[in-house]
Amino acid sequence: MSAMSRRTLFAHAARFAAGITVFAAAPACAFNPLPALPTRSMPSGEARIAWLRLLPDGRVQLLLPRQEMGQGISIALRQIVAEELDIELDRVEAVLPDTASIAPVKSTVGSDSMKDFTEPVARAAALLREHLQSGSTATELHDKGQPVTLRSLRGGGRHVGQGHPTERIADIVTGASTLYAGDVRLPGILFGLVLPAGVEPRELAAGLRLVDLADGRRGLLSDHPGPLHAVTLDRPTADRTMPEMNIDAAMARGRLEHRLRNDTVSTDTAWTLDRRYAIPFAAHAAMEPRSAVAQWHDGGTRLEVWTGTQDAFFVRETLARQFGLSAEKVLVHSCRIGGGFGARTIVRQELEAALLAQAAGRPVKVQWSRAAEFVDGFHRPPSSHRIRARLDAQGRITDWWHGFCSGHVIFTSAAMPRWMQAVTSFVKDPGVARGALPPYAANRMRVEFSDLRLPVDTGPWRGLGAGPNGFAIESAIDELAQLAGRDPLQFRLANLDPQHGRLRACLEAVRDLSGWNTPVPAGTGRGIACGIYKESSYAAVVAEVRVAEDGNAKVTHLWCAQDSGLVVNPDQLRAQIEGNLLWGLGMVLIEKLPIEGGRVAAYTFADYPIPTMDAMPAIDIALIEPTGAAPSGAGETAMVAVAAITNAIAAATGRRVLTLPYQATSSA
Amino acid sequence: MQITVNGRSADIPDERSRDPLLWVLRETLGLTGTKFGCGQGLCGACTVHLDGAAVRSCQISTGDAAGRSIITIEGLAGETLHPVQQAWIAESVPQCGYCQAGQIMSAVALLRETPKPDDAAIDAAMAGNLCRCGTYQRIRKAIHRAAGEAQP
Repeated sequence: MSAMSRRTLFAHAARFAAGITVFAAAPACAFNPLPALPTRSMPSGEARIAWLRLLPDGRVQLLLPRQEMGQGISIALRQIVAEELDIELDRVEAVLPDTASIAPVKSTVGSDSMKDFTEPVARAAALLREHLQSGSTATELHDKGQPVTLRSLRGGGRHVGQGHPTERIADIVTGASTLYAGDVRLPGILFGLVLPAGVEPRELAAGLRLVDLADGRRGLLSDHPGPLHAVTLDRPTADRTMPEMNIDAAMARGRLEHRLRNDTVSTDTAWTLDRRYAIPFAAHAAMEPRSAVAQWHDGGTRLEVWTGTQDAFFVRETLARQFGLSAEKVLVHSCRIGGGFGARTIVRQELEAALLAQAAGRPVKVQWSRAAEFVDGFHRPPSSHRIRARLDAQGRITDWWHGFCSGHVIFTSAAMPRWMQAVTSFVKDPGVARGALPPYAANRMRVEFSDLRLPVDTGPWRGLGAGPNGFAIESAIDELAQLAGRDPLQFRLANLDPQHGRLRACLEAVRDLSGWNTPVPAGTGRGIACGIYKESSYAAVVAEVRVAEDGNAKVTHLWCAQDSGLVVNPDQLRAQIEGNLLWGLGMVLIEKLPIEGGRVAAYTFADYPIPTMDAMPAIDIALIEPTGAAPSGAGETAMVAVAAITNAIAAATGRRVLTLPYQATSSA
Repeated sequence: MQITVNGRSADIPDERSRDPLLWVLRETLGLTGTKFGCGQGLCGACTVHLDGAAVRSCQISTGDAAGRSIITIEGLAGETLHPVQQAWIAESVPQCGYCQAGQIMSAVALLRETPKPDDAAIDAAMAGNLCRCGTYQRIRKAIHRAAGEAQP
């Protein structure tokens, strides 16, 4: 099949006065990954999860089936389309979806986008190409699973494998466009906030109006945001009981209720290692506080909303249910998200804007404060882990027993009525379980956990359970290597489950990249960790940390080798890894959401500092791309950096970091 | 009340004089490139230039900014993009992009004071501009690039 030049594509396109539309099919497993949330029917086959439109002037429009939060999915899918059609990248335009333009599609979560959406989009583009070459005159094409030749997924193409900056970068650096929900401006718009239940403003300053909302809450409206942001809210302070997150207490209550591996491990002989690890609450702290704009039409019978959300269809369904509307009477526009990290998976600010706009009879913009982000948002739950392991004389793991307890991640109280919370307590929370099965072989393995309902809302946070579980597992493995007198990298290679050859390749690559076998600089510790994310993405990280005499730790260098399969855009893949590495650094060195009296006690970035530029170490990344491997996720894999850093601290100080964040005086 | 933004004079209702400049820029003038991140001067997303100095527009009242030269991200480019904006594209800095207007405004002010900053100077000048996505390494490279220095 000959390549189709831009000129010929244009010539083809000109034959179609109204253009051609291709409907992409939903990926095979298009279920809602938040089972706690209302299910939506996911038609397969002809589900119009994305549209590809060839315009008469030869440009191609891609209606994205995904949300953009800086992970680079827009540019990556454009590259796929351009590759299939063999046209210049700038002839492909990506459009964020609104709920009237595409069929319901699952949330943009879980590092699923590349794994699940490159192929449907590639198929749509390839169908268009073959259609044009066939001389057919049809103007509407549907992916019905017919055979089609894909060019973009074999790697090393004209566009696939090339680095490109994120979509809309020119608008980002000039500030000239409406990109985020808060940038949306409408004639006659008001600004509002919904008062938390039982909370009154200290005083009603000039320009503020108190209104009753349809759900029984009350809100404040203003014709300018200034007075609204000056309002001080006296939030409830009555103590609530925070259950102790303690694995020993959980185990003392009986067997942990959820089992991931259930081998019988002998408790008769001594353990080589028996360690407990503790991880605190953590906040998303995205730079964009939640924002939404709502406008009612046709006498309050039709609702239009602009928001940055990881799931526009969930927003639509929630609002439709709340206001007793049919789904088609609610239109949700997707805006670029100023940092997602799992935080934009529930519906809060959209409902608030709609309630306020209903009460005002005018469009309303809601802009959460930073304090609201901390106090009214939801957070990564704390967890407590105990790992017991036994080695044989050859340094192989014979027994592995990891028990842990955590607050909920997926079955979050932030998005569920109380009765549903009670029901889901009998089901394994897959978010808590994520990453809990180690990639190592052991003769006997027991992995079990318990989840606890907490008074502070918890939910998905970058990597879900994989960050905490990876920290516990890779800390234990590192100490086992030390107890066996083995090099930590060699120990991992020797104990890896043989089926994980791709992780082995990452370990070997990061060994070479980091100069693992070279002497460590004086005053510095070097540590390593590795892991597999969702059985499809692999990473190994080496950290060098300088620890001062007072115990103060500075991460000086991070190396990461990552295999996320086929690389569509190496620049954006590296960016995701850089972000993961910095999140790992933050988890180790500073991040702990303060809780007092069973409530979040953080209101500003002074209460919850996040890493600043001076904390950023040198970073080197190697991308591994096995021939024929499908693209997989990248946004959460390298969170294993956490344990690489704590293992480096242990190497430097001789003391293990068992509680996060690291404190100069609290090591084991 | 009149304020001068990006070289143009704008009439602002007097009752806005106590409101933070940020909200007047965004909602009265429609200059939404300047972002709200915390409202406490702790994140840098709202950074603008006031008489050439980088300031947090959430901490400056509109009245206090009157009579002074205010430059926002929208006013940085002339016929072509500012060299710092060009460097941001060349180094593919942004992920989500939300903090980047503030980062760029701080970087421009840094380079005006210190045309060839080393990494320590960059870290010191930029430590008040938070980025949650993890673009700091690229920001450093972009500042070096804009300074016309060889890439470290």
